[in-house]
Order: sequence, then structure tokens, then C-alpha cells
Amino acid sequence: MFDRDIWQEIFNTIKKNKLRTFLTGFSVGWAIFILVMLLASVNGMQNGFYSQFNDDATNSIIIRPGTTSEAYAGFEAGRRVQFKNEDIEFIEKSFPEDFVEISGRYYANAVARYKAETGTYSVQAVHPDHQIIEKTIVISGRFINEADHVNKAKVAVIGRKVAEDLFDKEDPIGQFAEFNGLPFKVIGVFIDEGDDNAERRIYAPISTYQRIYGNTNDINVILLTYNPNYDLTKALEFSDKLETIMKRRHKVAPEDQAGIGVWNYAEAFDDISSFTSVLKAIGIGVGFLILIAGIVGIGNIMVFTIKERTKEIGIRKALGARPNQIVNLVLLESIFITALSGFIGLLFAWGILAIFGPMFNTPAFTNPNVSASTVITATIVLIIAGVLAGLIPALKASNVKPIVALSDK
Amino acid sequence: MIEIKDLHKSYKMGSNSLHVLKGINFSVEEGELVAIMGSSGSGKSTLLNILGMLDGSDSGEYYLDGVPIKDLSEKKAAQYRNKFLGFVFQSFNLINYKSALENVALPLYYQKVGRRERQDKALNYLDRVGLKEWATHLPSELSGGQKQRVAIARAMAAEPKVLLADEPTGALDSKTSYEVMDLIQKINDDGNTILVVTHEKDIAHMCKRIVHLRDGVIVEDTKIEQVRAQEYV
Ligand SMILES: Nc1ncnc2c1ncn2[C@@H]1O[C@H](COP(=O)(O)OP(=O)(O)O)[C@@H](O)[C@H]1O
Ligand SMILES: [Mg+2]
Repeated sequence: MFDRDIWQEIFNTIKKNKLRTFLTGFSVGWAIFILVMLLASVNGMQNGFYSQFNDDATNSIIIRPGTTSEAYAGFEAGRRVQFKNEDIEFIEKSFPEDFVEISGRYYANAVARYKAETGTYSVQAVHPDHQIIEKTIVISGRFINEADHVNKAKVAVIGRKVAEDLFDKEDPIGQFAEFNGLPFKVIGVFIDEGDDNAERRIYAPISTYQRIYGNTNDINVILLTYNPNYDLTKALEFSDKLETIMKRRHKVAPEDQAGIGVWNYAEAFDDISSFTSVLKAIGIGVGFLILIAGIVGIGNIMVFTIKERTKEIGIRKALGARPNQIVNLVLLESIFITALSGFIGLLFAWGILAIFGPMFNTPAFTNPNVSASTVITATIVLIIAGVLAGLIPALKASNVKPIVALSDK
Repeated sequence: MIEIKDLHKSYKMGSNSLHVLKGINFSVEEGELVAIMGSSGSGKSTLLNILGMLDGSDSGEYYLDGVPIKDLSEKKAAQYRNKFLGFVFQSFNLINYKSALENVALPLYYQKVGRRERQDKALNYLDRVGLKEWATHLPSELSGGQKQRVAIARAMAAEPKVLLADEPTGALDSKTSYEVMDLIQKINDDGNTILVVTHEKDIAHMCKRIVHLRDGVIVEDTKIEQVRAQEYV
């Protein structure tokens, strides 16, 4: 196989039969070109999706209690599940390695008044970590801190719209506004790009609101972030564990989504990546079909050339060529043409992607490219393709009977 | 060198069977130059193909240089052909995309002779048939006589024990035929064993022995006074 003579024979044959070689190679080169372009396009779509989701998506999880839909552990269906402060402590203790920030959220409404201005706003009473989890941008003053929480301070961080409504041109920081008749000190103003409704919201310490509302320790929703280095699998694994353990704690049936809902932003990624892997599979499938057409094409031309070369093969046999030498010759020629033309197709596709790929930067399509593993796989596929394409012709060639081939009739 | 005993060969054509060789007994000593004569269809080529291991016989014995030739695998037959036999055909059978030199070097390639030596030997044989200057030419650039001389050089390059020529002059005019026969005689003069199939009397008389085939048997086998082709060139 690595005998220099056989390669010289092959190069000679190819050199002397340029058109035939070109026609043979073209189909496979073209097939590989299309395969690579298809895969690169899927890659481009994937890149587009990911870059879009990377902007919004956080490594955050929301846990919402609800009303059970199934009877479980001696409880009837239709029971309301209520989270308490202890649930947060429980999560902190159970997953010290996994979570990074955690916050409860308690929903309330407030009729707010400052001087002559009044308005009704929704209040989210939260822990200090909430700012990081929700990526709240405070434009003046500060967010709720640990001291506010511990002291159950009557402080509030208000949305930009709230500030405009109540304080008009005045600086709200340090001013006292009345929420349902109770004085709260404004310590910060926040904004939320692209969401006006969010700016009509007020944040206050959760401990403060729990005391105002009858000394409860109720929580409506738990939010948390996990280790940002987690990949998709690990992130989903974590939220699954979280769901299981919370459902067990609150005696909710494991499959009861209405009782407790755990929503991991990573799931959005998961959907997208399964979507793009389907696309990729289709791309590979279509590419392979085209490649098979190319292989059949090569095989066809090779069979045809074997017919054409019957006499030559007969001569070689008369001169002492052994059958396996003939097989080698035809097979290696096929592999060589397939691999070379496929490689040219690959290089073409690669070159086009290298030049034009970076120009694509739309949300749906970003930098289509191919990975090294795709290239390596394609090369291996090509060699296999060459063997397949050459196999039938090679066996046909080795069966050529010299007397038949050389008969002058 | 060659010894055959009671050789039979028939071709099956559907339900019919054509009995071509009906018991050939025949032997050839080293250094002989034998003409096999007979009318068209008398089985000359069939006999030569069996001698050349390109085809098998139905029954009978065949010894080549003392080696029994029987039930050979394709691989073994290829090795024997390569080592023992050189072929020259009526239609030359050169590989059309290979130069004269490459054609001559081909059997050496199958003998696993190294590249340099192959080139040297091939060029030497081309020189011996007077075509050294044509080494790089393709067969299509050569005349019929030149093609046959390249074919003879190719057959001789492997240094076979026996040279088998099936109507080597069949496609050539008489002047060129004599040139080719002159070459064959000279090769025979060097001690090589040669069998020439022909149906032309003058060509047969340039050999040293004539074997007549008719209806699948040898009807005449005589040693003759060789006519030197040189005189007609
Ligand atoms: N492969 C074959 N199949 C069937 N018949 C054949 C085959 N080869 C030769 N023959 C027949 O055998 C007879 C002898 O052929 P051949 O040896 O070629 O004769 P020659 O060379 O003396 O002209 C002819 O009648 C020919 O038609
Ligand atoms: Mg004949």
C-alpha cells in the first residue's frame, strides 16, 4: 500500500486520464462541499441562537409554589403549597456547592403617596441577593442591603416611572414616601431597559413586609442562581435535584407540575440545542445522501472504466500481475481520487467560510463555520467512501480473464 | 522444456461442446524455435493459451521446465507466467497510455525489480530491438512493426524460459514481418526457446521446426532448414 511503485502507477493513470479523473472526482468534491456548507449553516444558526440567548439568559432558577393537582402522601389534591423562610435556609443548607445567590420574593401592592402625588404600584419584597439574580440596574442611590434586611428597615428602591410619578423633578433619594400609610425611605432608583412595566415596581426588604403583614414568614417565590461554570447538563441536573427535594419537602407528587414548578433558564438552551441538533442531523443526513450519490457516481464511472480497461488488465495479468495487485491498483486509485477531490471540496468550503463566514452576524445566523472534528470526520468518511466506490469495480477487475480480455475477436 | 501428453480441450457453448484439442502429444527442447501451423480455427491459439497458462486444459499433462502445470490458483498462475513466460500477440497489446519504456518495464515491476534496475533493463531491451530513441514515445506514435518490437522487448525483459508468439506478424506487411522474424531469430540465436503460431508458410519456414495442427491433432511435426529473415530485410 505504501509502495512507491503502485503510487507511481496510480499517478500515471490519473495523469494520462485527466478528464476521466476530473469527472470521477467532481461528484464527490461537490458532495463534500455541500455537506460542509450545510453543517456550517446549522452551526451558524446555532451560533445565532446562542449569542441571542446569552444576552438574556442567566444561570437562574425560579421555584413557584402552586396548588397540588394530585392527591399524595395522605393529602388531597387542591392543597395550596406555601413556602416559608425555612425553605430558603433548607436550600442553602442542602446545596452549598451549587447555589450562588438566593432570594425570596413576597408580592404586595402599595398605594404610594409623596406630597400631593399618589399612585398604586406593585411591591416585590425581596432579599439583597435579588439585585444580582434579576440584574437590576440601580441608577442612583443603592439597592437593599443586609443591614436593611436584618433591621427590617422601612426602605424602598423604586422604579424610574415611580420616581417620575411621585417626585417629578425632585431627587427622591432620602425622601420619605407613604406606602399604605406607612413611611418608607427611598434609598435607590432602578431602571429596566425595554420594560416600562418593570419600572413601575417597588423593591423593599422581605423581612419588613413579612412583619407588616402580620408577622408571617411566608414567601411567594424563591429565586436563585447557580455556579455559572455549570454546563447545560449539570445545570439541568441541579434543577432536577432541586425540584425533587422541594416536592418531597412539601409532600407534592414528583410529577405534579402544578404543586411546585421549577423553571430553569437553561431549559430554554436545552430546547434550542435539541432543535439545532435536529437541524444538524438533517444536515448530516442530506449531506450523506448527496455523498452517497457521489459514491455511486464514482463507482459507476470506475465500473465503466474497468470495462474500458479490461484489455489493459488482461495485459497486466498476462505479464504476471496477481489478482490482489489488480484489486489494490483499482481500490487505491478510487480512494486517492475520492480523498483528493473530497479534500478539494472541503478546502473550497473552508475557504469560502473563512472569507465570508465572519460577515454574517445577524441574530439568526452568526459566523457559520466548521469544527476540526467535522473536517476529520469528513476525511474518514471520504476514505471509506473511496473504498466503497472502488470495491465493486476492483473485484470486477480482478475477475477479468486474460484470454477473454486479449482475444482479438 | 515443454512436455505435453494427451492434452484435450473443449469449449462449452450452451448445450453444445466444441472439441478443439483432441489429444496433443508434443515436446519442445530448450533453444528450439517452433512454428505451429494450421488453418484458421484449428486450435493454434487455444494450444498456445494453455501453454501460456492463460487457459486450462480439460485433461492431459503439461510440464514446463519439469514443473507440472495443473490446477493452478490465479495467484500461482500469475507468478509462473511472470517467471517462465513471455507473450507476443498479433495485436501487440501495449498499454496505450504508457510510453514504450514503461511498457517494457511493466513485467519487471511485477517481478518486484527495483525502479532503477527496471529502467536500465527496459532501456537495454529497447536498445536490443533498435528502439532506444523511441523510449519515451507512446504506442500511438509508433508504426506497427515498431509496436511489435516493443512488445517483443517487453516479453524478453522478464527473461522468460519460453517466448510464446501468437501470429506476431499477422497484422504486419511482409517487409515488416521479416524484420520482426529477424529479431525473433536473433533472440533464438541467443538460446531462447520460442513458439510462433502462424498460418503463413514463409514465416513458418523461418523457424527450425514446423508442427501442423488439423482437427485438433498434430498431423505433422518436422525439423526444417531455417530460412534466415536477414536475407529479406
Ligand atoms: N473462448 C472460446 N469459447 C468458445 N469457442 C472458442 C473459444 N475460443 C476459441 N473457440 C473456438 O475454438 C476453435 C479454435 O480456436 P482458436 O484456437 O482460436 O483457433 P486458431 O487460433 O487456430 O484460429 C474455433 O472454432 C473457435 O471458434
Ligand atoms: Mg488464433
